[in-house]
Amino acid sequence: MRITLWRVAIFVALLGAWEWLTGIKAISRTPGLYWIDPFFISRPSVIARRFAYLMSGEVRLSLWQMALSTVESTLWGFAVGVSTGFAAGLVLGRHDRLARVFEPYIVAFNSLPRIALVPLVTMIFGFGLLAKVVLAWTIVFFIVFFNTFQGVRAVDADLVHSARFLGAGERQILWTVIVPSALAWTFAALTPSISFALIGVVVGELLGGESGGGLGYLITQSLGTLNAADMMVALVSLGFIGIVMALGIKQIERRLLRWRPEYRTERA
Amino acid sequence: MDRVSFEVLEGEFVAIVGPSGCGKSTVLNMIAGLVTPLAGAVLVDDTPVKGAAPPRVGYVFQKDTVFPWRTVARNIALGLEYRGVAGTERVRRVREAVTLAGLDGFEDAFPATLSGGMRQRVALMRTLVVDPEILLMDEPFGALDTHTKLTLHAELLALWEARRQTVIFVTHDLSEAISLADRIVVMTRRPGRVKMVHEVKLTRPRDVIALRESDEYAREYGRIWHVLGEEFAASGPRP
Repeated sequence: MRITLWRVAIFVALLGAWEWLTGIKAISRTPGLYWIDPFFISRPSVIARRFAYLMSGEVRLSLWQMALSTVESTLWGFAVGVSTGFAAGLVLGRHDRLARVFEPYIVAFNSLPRIALVPLVTMIFGFGLLAKVVLAWTIVFFIVFFNTFQGVRAVDADLVHSARFLGAGERQILWTVIVPSALAWTFAALTPSISFALIGVVVGELLGGESGGGLGYLITQSLGTLNAADMMVALVSLGFIGIVMALGIKQIERRLLRWRPEYRTERA
Repeated sequence: MDRVSFEVLEGEFVAIVGPSGCGKSTVLNMIAGLVTPLAGAVLVDDTPVKGAAPPRVGYVFQKDTVFPWRTVARNIALGLEYRGVAGTERVRRVREAVTLAGLDGFEDAFPATLSGGMRQRVALMRTLVVDPEILLMDEPFGALDTHTKLTLHAELLALWEARRQTVIFVTHDLSEAISLADRIVVMTRRPGRVKMVHEVKLTRPRDVIALRESDEYAREYGRIWHVLGEEFAASGPRP
């Protein structure tokens, strides 16, 4: 309770300082000389007005549509990245030779700064949803892949033995021992994955232009018109979307891993 | 190990005791087919064991091998699932096993919420639910406190009296071996050999708690302890 109070107090103080310092002139009556120039960081009141305006139907591409586009691409990138990453991790985790063959390629591709791929991906996939999904995928895939791979490698040999004594065949061992143990590692990668998917999508949108839509487009557009208020609207919206998606995935992760003691104590 | 040889009769409860590192667990693993002997063979019903687990053998490990992501009921159902026992038959047998293990009300609990004793009960029932003819147990109660251990001894004996599986039970706890077994194979320190095979002359059914105070128990204990003591002494100071 006290902590919440402090948090709210700091928020109000920061917002108040922002509004106030960008409103008073450094030298009275001299135009343009503020303590802190709202040209660069805008003001909370102006941002709120722009927010309402961008949400309204008066604009061609509303904030809603842009947010939706960002969320949609993120979720797609996340889903495709998680499923392919899991499949690849499972296959390479099970086949040592294959893993050794592919290792340098994986390491090399993963060391590549993903942002450098944006122009290439744009060239191949254009400016739309697909390009954004691909960019998100290039990041999420590796996070999930490495985790799943580790998970398959870390399967407890005694569990495999005991399954065999209970009459399990190789396929049954795969589905009842290896996949569930690996999934525990995969699930633990879900929360960072959604955040990284969002990064991939926004990076794509920065270059994507209007057809790609999304909040990243609002940012570049604001840069073009030197409109700090709109940029702030986009940033705040992105932050909000990021938090909501991460919390949502965290809930799913907890549900899926509810058998783990550490997820029980957290909930209690 | 060196020239380890003993016989186990059908329906018999045999315990293997010996100093740690003598190869008790290895003997068990050979019977299970997990380890291939360098020379000699393990015969089950006159058929040599090789490679994979012989059919109808159940194995309870010392380590906790309950699947953490499955509930109690779904852990117990594993063997039936593997064998393709489906639907109502599976549900019925799992429910029976849960009741037998005294785990009513914990069917949907995950292992992480259970005590060590309860988890080992799940492991035991999971093995017994498929009705193995031979039950191999490798210090299954080694990690439990004395009280829980005694409770599980009583439960194990009750279950065994009902079905009379052949049991081979590895332990380093002599009192455990005497309480449970018909015969005790005493092994020497490395290289492990069979030092003696002792017949436990205690009547069944046994009350594992009252037994501990009886003179017969003390007599059995004294006799094996003497033999086992030579081994412990010879192997130097023990922790």
